[in-house]
Amino acid sequence: MINTTQNLFAYRELIAALAWKNIVVRYKQSYLGLLLAVLKPVMLMLIFTLVRSFIGIETDGTPYPILTFAALLPWIFFQESASEGVSSVTSNAALIKKIYFPREVFPITAMVTKLVELAVSFFILAGLMAYYQMMPTIYALWVPLIILYTMLIALTISFFGAAINVYYRDMSQLLPIALSLLMYGSPVIYPLSLVRQKLLDEQMAGEWSNQLYTLYTLNPLAGIIDSFQRVLLKGMAPDFNALLPGFILMSVLLPISYLFFKRAENWFADII
Amino acid sequence: MPIIEVKHLTKEYDLGAVTSIKDSLRHTLAKIQGKDTWQRERFKALDDVNFTIEEGEVVGIIGHNGAGKSTLLKHLANITKPTSGEVIVRGSIAPLIEVGAGVNPELTGRENIFLNGAILGIPKKVIASKLDEIIDFSELEQFIDTPVKRYSSGMTVKLGFSIATSMDADILIIDEVLAVGDLAFQRKCFDRMEHLIKKQGKTVLLVSHNIRQVARMCNRAILLGHGAITLDGDPDDVCNEFYEENNRQILKNIDDNKVQKSESEIIEIINVAIISESGKKIESIKSGESLRINVEFRTNKDIIKPEIVIGTHTTDFVYLTASTTELNTPPLEKLSVGEHSVTLEQESYPLKPGVYGIRVAIFDQHRNSLYSGENLEFFTVDKTANESRQPPLRLLCADYKWIMSN
Repeated sequence: MINTTQNLFAYRELIAALAWKNIVVRYKQSYLGLLLAVLKPVMLMLIFTLVRSFIGIETDGTPYPILTFAALLPWIFFQESASEGVSSVTSNAALIKKIYFPREVFPITAMVTKLVELAVSFFILAGLMAYYQMMPTIYALWVPLIILYTMLIALTISFFGAAINVYYRDMSQLLPIALSLLMYGSPVIYPLSLVRQKLLDEQMAGEWSNQLYTLYTLNPLAGIIDSFQRVLLKGMAPDFNALLPGFILMSVLLPISYLFFKRAENWFADII
Repeated sequence: MPIIEVKHLTKEYDLGAVTSIKDSLRHTLAKIQGKDTWQRERFKALDDVNFTIEEGEVVGIIGHNGAGKSTLLKHLANITKPTSGEVIVRGSIAPLIEVGAGVNPELTGRENIFLNGAILGIPKKVIASKLDEIIDFSELEQFIDTPVKRYSSGMTVKLGFSIATSMDADILIIDEVLAVGDLAFQRKCFDRMEHLIKKQGKTVLLVSHNIRQVARMCNRAILLGHGAITLDGDPDDVCNEFYEENNRQILKNIDDNKVQKSESEIIEIINVAIISESGKKIESIKSGESLRINVEFRTNKDIIKPEIVIGTHTTDFVYLTASTTELNTPPLEKLSVGEHSVTLEQESYPLKPGVYGIRVAIFDQHRNSLYSGENLEFFTVDKTANESRQPPLRLLCADYKWIMSN
């Protein structure tokens, strides 16, 4: 782990240059430029708001559009970092065959690229908060930490997926599907407070309710999205009970995923 | 301590496509059950290669296509890992394996300089300070803010080379890059490489099919064949061996030497030979001695005012001499049907020791080619007693004398 961090530092200029290249290449010759990046969360927010007007989702006080937009921010960042991370190695085949540098640079670069797009989305969020007259509190300082945690989750998937994808391209096709399913298992359309209320307070699933809630929070995104909404919109500290199961899961999987990637790395140039 | 050590390096590749998940699962299952019957055909790209390179050496790596040159470089550049054996590199490496690998077509030339710099591990500050020099060298001042996708391929390569050689590494790995750009730019690249080698004392590994380049730039050459080192040593010797190997290959490829001949029904070559003064067939002459080439041929038709040209060439087809009967006094008037024998005598054949080939061409009175062929016969020019004291890089051994004045 220390080694990785050192590598990261040593290759920070490369990561920065590659991320900058990704962004420039993506938005060159496009009129809207980076605005395209925020199109997705804004559109989804509008659709979810429309859908909610039919089916009704309780939000314990926070206006629904901003609540779901605040959920979409970390979710889309995670989803796209992971998807791009998984195909990042194969899409840089030309470089992999010609020059050596630690291959984890590619998934990390994919993530840093998405970080820039996330930053643009924050402006929209700030605009929404101003519209709903919400003031950020001191708890907003948690945001960088939450983002960092999201990055680690995305990396866990990226490392494993990217290595597999070198051998079997199915990975980069299947992962986006799996992730869009996971969105319904994460509190994006509905808030976590609703899940908590149904399972913990009303014990909807009978004696399995508590276990089911733990299982739900095993998805790290549950804790992340909830915390993100709490610290930004509600001025509250993160709910550590909701964060813990997912955090434990990640602490176990990230090192395994990374070691798997480093082992597979030796053969990338031969197989790719 | 050597800067590069390669010990028992072996690299095998699986042949065929990547297996399907089904096959790998079946394979894994079989492995678990302890009966590993499933084996893919493997190909040894490198087979127990051993060598060391000291700091400051300029080593040329030559060999046929598929001899393992690029695979070897990939191991040195840490791009791939050996199947067995070890590669130790003590120093930073600048891989010029195909310049322009990192050039992105959407970015402008200037942007690409920074991006490629980062990919090669050159700090941004260094690139910024060398920016003018790089642009100047690439001769692309006018186009530097234009996206590379609008460049010609030569321009792209110029850009790539300019960036790559600005890197400050202990070891340079060059794979066929000098064979790019127009002649003037090639010359410039060559000079820059020579500067890097001779002035800065860098360790350089040069992979090239341009054998003359290797002989000229390197102080050591390694000949690879089928994944193993065939010869390692003085570049002249190694290159000669490579030429001879090539010739054997060429001769093997041509069925009865037919490929390099264009003949009509009218002329048949019966025999080509080097002969001694007494007319006996010989295989070699000494450098500077007289050379006699005897050609026996048959004409199936009368030929009025024919012209016979006999020449010599190096094994890589640099034409050295060509002598025509037109300059004979008198020129040939007629070749009647039947067998003929001509002998070309050259009083002194002042070439440096090596293997040379003979070519013959016969024309009719309208300069239409009736016959032409190369590599018809080979002969060796042997070393004279003085050879070991002669400077090695030359083609001719013309007589000379010195006039010293104070």
